[in-house]
Amino acid sequence: MTGTLLQNLINGALTGCIYALIALGLSLIFGVMNVVNFAHGDFVMLSMYLTFWIGLWAGMDAALTPLITFPALFLIGLLAYYALIDRTLRQKYVTQIAVTVGLMTFLRALAQLIWKAQPRALPYSLIQGNIQIGPYTILASRLISAVVSVLAIAGVYLFLSRTWAGRAIRAASDDLDAASLLGVPYRQTYALAFGLGSALTAIAGGLLMTFQQVDPTMGVRFGLLSWCVLAMAGLGSIPGLLISGVIVGAAEAVGMSLWDPRARSLIVYLLFILVLWLRPRGLFGRK
Amino acid sequence: MPRTRKDMNRFLLMLLLGIVVLLPIAVRSNQYTLVLLTTILLYGVLATAWNIIGGLAGQLDLAAGAYLGLGAFTTGTLLIRWNVSPWLGMVLGGLVAVGFALLVGYPLFRFGVKEVWYALSSAALVEVLRVAFLIWNQVGGPVERYLPYHEWSLYHLRFATYLPFSYIMLGLLVLALLVNHWIRQSRLGYYLMALGENEEAAEVLGVNTQRCKLQALAIYAFLVGITGGIYACMYGFIHPNFFSGPMSIEVAILGIVGGMGITYGPVIAAILLVSVREFLRASLGGQLEGLYLVVYATVLILIALFRPQGLGPLLRQAYDRLLARVVKE
Repeated sequence: MTGTLLQNLINGALTGCIYALIALGLSLIFGVMNVVNFAHGDFVMLSMYLTFWIGLWAGMDAALTPLITFPALFLIGLLAYYALIDRTLRQKYVTQIAVTVGLMTFLRALAQLIWKAQPRALPYSLIQGNIQIGPYTILASRLISAVVSVLAIAGVYLFLSRTWAGRAIRAASDDLDAASLLGVPYRQTYALAFGLGSALTAIAGGLLMTFQQVDPTMGVRFGLLSWCVLAMAGLGSIPGLLISGVIVGAAEAVGMSLWDPRARSLIVYLLFILVLWLRPRGLFGRK
Repeated sequence: MPRTRKDMNRFLLMLLLGIVVLLPIAVRSNQYTLVLLTTILLYGVLATAWNIIGGLAGQLDLAAGAYLGLGAFTTGTLLIRWNVSPWLGMVLGGLVAVGFALLVGYPLFRFGVKEVWYALSSAALVEVLRVAFLIWNQVGGPVERYLPYHEWSLYHLRFATYLPFSYIMLGLLVLALLVNHWIRQSRLGYYLMALGENEEAAEVLGVNTQRCKLQALAIYAFLVGITGGIYACMYGFIHPNFFSGPMSIEVAILGIVGGMGITYGPVIAAILLVSVREFLRASLGGQLEGLYLVVYATVLILIALFRPQGLGPLLRQAYDRLLARVVKE
């Protein structure tokens, strides 16, 4: 019993690293430009479907597809920013939500139209298999996904702290007016943040497709999941995001094994509501 | 013909009411039109109730499905298990929804959960309830629970046609509109509008924002809970999918598109958007699953981008201009 529990805990925590990666994208978008993006989870769904397509038509392994989907999602993010988000920046948050909810519905309906409602999965991945450590079995796909996610998060961290563009993003998120005065072009910075935030879902989508299937309703799950991780972490702390992602992933797995497999989302949402009640600024937030 | 603007308003209102009252009878031979009409009225009621918490108080609530489901399950379970009339059941369902709303709303408002976080946590509630009822086999469970069938029973609120339901929905819509109207003119309404505009400022001026928001939430939950009871009787079964996230979002969208805080706005939005949706579903749905939603979503985005104040003010202007031509003061 404890053996299975621990094993689920480990696999859940590893999946949590991917959640952290998705939430990092959302955190770039929400933290920098204060735009409430309800469609973020549907970008994950979209990149999972793109992965499925590339895997099917080009025979490329799911784990490698981000090489193509990353730039693709970056462009889609830029397009969404200039076509929709840019126009809502000076509006009330309610308008922003209405627009991104519209985008969410649009993407889900589009997925339903193109790929139909039944779940899709790729048959085989390079990184399949099990790793036996003592009495525990760890899925290789989860472990490698977790490592890649952590590396990607570290990459974003370096980008934000070492490059001029990354510093511009951080400056704009701290104080837009001051950043503008110092010569940070805010629209380009916002577009970059939105594009990068969306592109990160491409990595997550590729990794997720190595061990699970995709259907059009998946976007809602990942959307609320990433908001949950973000709420728990608070804004502005990248290590906090990683820890929160791991907590959420582990809680999900434990809930499923101890209580009921259907309780998966229940655990996440209850956790989310509790965090909002008790720690509105998150566990690691700095603002 | 009426002479003054006020008379004209009243005359047109009566005319409109007359048309609406006669409409279900006029289309009764066509079940599809009747269902469409009832669906529009249903969304009109939900969006008008939403206007109290969303439009007036400015809290983007996405939990309409939660209160609807609670009302439906209370009414349905009471009827199936103990043969309690839905007329009583729906009131109890409304009260259960209020109880739940207060239980959840108190800590939310107490800990200052606002804006996007309020929206998200309310959206999460719907999903929590859906899964909870899916797991709770004694009341919910994955299989539909059917209400007893009656050809025509007022006690059981079960009819073989939609005609009575369209009138009940119409009655509810009038009730919801009146409640909206009363609140707007009451002290509570002014407090809500103040805090909807700027919460800190309202607080500084001595408005007990927590309490006002709770009151608005309770009224909204009660109206939606009652509607849930009728919803269950209308469809003849209860299922955890009544706790529907997409439906909750759609209710909020109707409120926003209609114009936040405008009493008649949500009804207009419901008439326009729900009939567009159903028309597209009927004409395109068969061949291409999801296409109607693509069009629907595009319409929503365009309205949100180019008419952020909603359709209400736009129609108001058109109405005023028309009236100015007819009535010379």
